[in-house]
Amino acid sequence: MTAAILDGLVLGLQFGLLGVGLTIVYGMGGVLNLAYGAMAVASAIVVSVAMRSGLPAVPAVALGILTGAALSLLLNVTIMRPVYRRRGDQRVLLSILLTIGVAFIINGYLVWKLPIEALSLSIGGDAISILGVPMRVGSLLASAITILAGVGLILFFRRTTAGKAVRSVIQDEVGARLCGINPASVRMLIFTLSGAIAGLVAVTRSMTSPVPVSEGFSLTILALLVTVVGGLGSVKGAMLAGLILGVVNALSSFYIGSYITTIVLLVAAALTILLRPSGLFGEYT
Amino acid sequence: MVPYVAVAITAVILSLVPLWIGDSRTLTGVAVSGLLFACYATAFNLIFGSTDQLFLAVGALAGVGAYTSAITSDRLSLPLPLTIILGMIVAMIISGLFSWIAVRRSLGIIFTGIVTLTFSLAFDNLLLGQRSLTGGETGMVIDAGKGAFFRGQIPPYYVFLTLLIGFLLAYVAIHRSRMGWAFRALRDDQLSAELSGVNVAKYRIYAGAIGGAMLGLSGALWAHVEGFISPATFTFVHVDVQVLVMLVFGGIGTLLGPVVGSAFFTYLGEVLASFSQLRLIVEGVLLIVLFLALPQGVVGAIVIGITRLRERRKGLP
Repeated sequence: MTAAILDGLVLGLQFGLLGVGLTIVYGMGGVLNLAYGAMAVASAIVVSVAMRSGLPAVPAVALGILTGAALSLLLNVTIMRPVYRRRGDQRVLLSILLTIGVAFIINGYLVWKLPIEALSLSIGGDAISILGVPMRVGSLLASAITILAGVGLILFFRRTTAGKAVRSVIQDEVGARLCGINPASVRMLIFTLSGAIAGLVAVTRSMTSPVPVSEGFSLTILALLVTVVGGLGSVKGAMLAGLILGVVNALSSFYIGSYITTIVLLVAAALTILLRPSGLFGEYT
Repeated sequence: MVPYVAVAITAVILSLVPLWIGDSRTLTGVAVSGLLFACYATAFNLIFGSTDQLFLAVGALAGVGAYTSAITSDRLSLPLPLTIILGMIVAMIISGLFSWIAVRRSLGIIFTGIVTLTFSLAFDNLLLGQRSLTGGETGMVIDAGKGAFFRGQIPPYYVFLTLLIGFLLAYVAIHRSRMGWAFRALRDDQLSAELSGVNVAKYRIYAGAIGGAMLGLSGALWAHVEGFISPATFTFVHVDVQVLVMLVFGGIGTLLGPVVGSAFFTYLGEVLASFSQLRLIVEGVLLIVLFLALPQGVVGAIVIGITRLRERRKGLP
C-alpha cells in the first residue's frame, strides 16, 4: 500500500510537470499544442543520440532540454502566428489541426531516421529506504528534479516581474496590454518554457522507464488529461491533478491490475471534467 | 434541387471507380476503405459540422457497432441483419448519451472533445483487455457472413458506395427539413437560436444520435464485409485523426467535403505507399500548408467562389 502510493507519487510528479508545460500554453493564448508529446520525445532522442556519440550525461541532458525549448520557440514564431489572429473556438480548432501536423512531421522524421532509438538513463546506487519502502535512486532523483522545477516555476510565476506579466496576460489579455505588457513576447517566453519543460519531463521520465520514439502520442494525451483535470491554464491545478492521477494509477494497478488501470484513470479524468468542468483549480492560476 | 444533383453526380463518378482501378485486389481494398472513411466523415460532419460537437470517438463508435454486431452474430448466432441493426442502435444510444451529457453539463468544444476522447481510449483498452470476448490485439475473425456475396472482391465497394450515397441523401434531407434550419440557427449563434425558440439541446442530441447510428452502421457493415476486425481498425489515431483531417480538408459543414477529403487522402496514401516512411512527414507538411491556405476547405472555397461569381453576374455588390 505505502509502496504503491510512493510509486504513484513518483509517477504523479512527472504527470504534473508534464501537464504544467501544456497548461501554461493553453492559459496564455487559448491554444492547445498537440505536438507537445512529440517535442518531449524529440528532446529525449537528442539526449540519447548525444550520449551514444560520447557526450557526458549532464551536457547531453542540457542539449535535450534546449532542443525542446528551441522546437517550441520555432513553433511559436512560425505556424502559431496565423492561429493568434483567430478568436475563441476557431483559434483552438486551428491550433489543434496545425499542431497535429507538426506532431506528424516530428514523429514521422524520428520513426524514419531512428526507429528503434529510446532514452533510458540508468542511475546507479543502492535503493534507499523511505517509510520502510526501498526506492530506486533513479525515481528519487527524478522526483527531486521535478519538485525543484515545480517550485522554481511557482516562484517564477509569483515573484518575478516576468512571471507576473505572464499571469496578468492569462487573466486578461486586454487589461495586460493596457498596462504595457506585450502579449506576443510573453507568449514567446511561455512557449519556450513549455518546450523546455517537455524536454525536462522526457529526461526525468527516462530515469524510471525508457522513453521510446513511439511515446509521443501517449505523452500528449497524458498531458491533456492532467491539464483538463487540473483546470485549463492552472499551474497549481496541473501539479495536483498529476499527483492525484499518478496515485490513482498506481493504486488501481496495485489492487486491480491489468488493462483496467488505464480505464480507471480515464474514467477518473472524465468524471472530474463532468463534475467540475473548470477543473480542480479552475478559477485560480 | 442542387444538392440532390450533386449527390447523383458523385454517385455516378464513384460507381465508375472500379472500372478505373481494374482487377487489382489491393487497390479495390484501398478504395473500399476510402468509402468507409467517407461514411465516417459524413457522420462526423453531421455531428461536428452541423452542431459544433467535437466527437473524438468516431472510431470507437464504429467499433461499438462492429464489435456488437460481430459478437452477437458469432457468439449468440443471431441473424446477421438483426446484429447489424443492433450494432447501429447501441452506437446510437452511446452517441446520443454523449450529446446529452455535453448539453446537460454545457461542455464547450474542447471539453466535449476530451470526454469523448477518454471514451475512445477506454474502449480501445477494453477491447485489448477482454481477450476472451474480442480476441484482444489479434482481433477476431467473423464467421457469420462466410461465403456470402458481399465477401467477394467488387461487391464490398458497392455495399459501401450505397451506404455513402444513403448517408449523403440523409444529410441533404436533414438539412432541408426543420432540423436543418435549427442546425443553421444554432451554429450561427446559439443564444439567439435559443431565444427564437429553437430547442438547442434537443437538436444537438438528435445530431449526436443520428451521427452515432451512421457510425455504428458503417462499423457493423465493415465487420461483416471484411470478415475480420481488430482494435487497431478503430483506434483514435487511425480513425479520428484521419477523419478530422479529411473533413477539414474537404470543408466542414459542406455536403461533399467529407467525400472530397477522404478521396484525396486515400489517393495520397496510395501514392505515398511506396515511400511509407516519408508518408507521415508529407501528410504533416500538407496538413499545415492546406489549413493555412484554405481554412474553409476545398469544397468550402469552391462554394464561396461560385457564390461570388453569381453575385457579380447579377450585378450585386
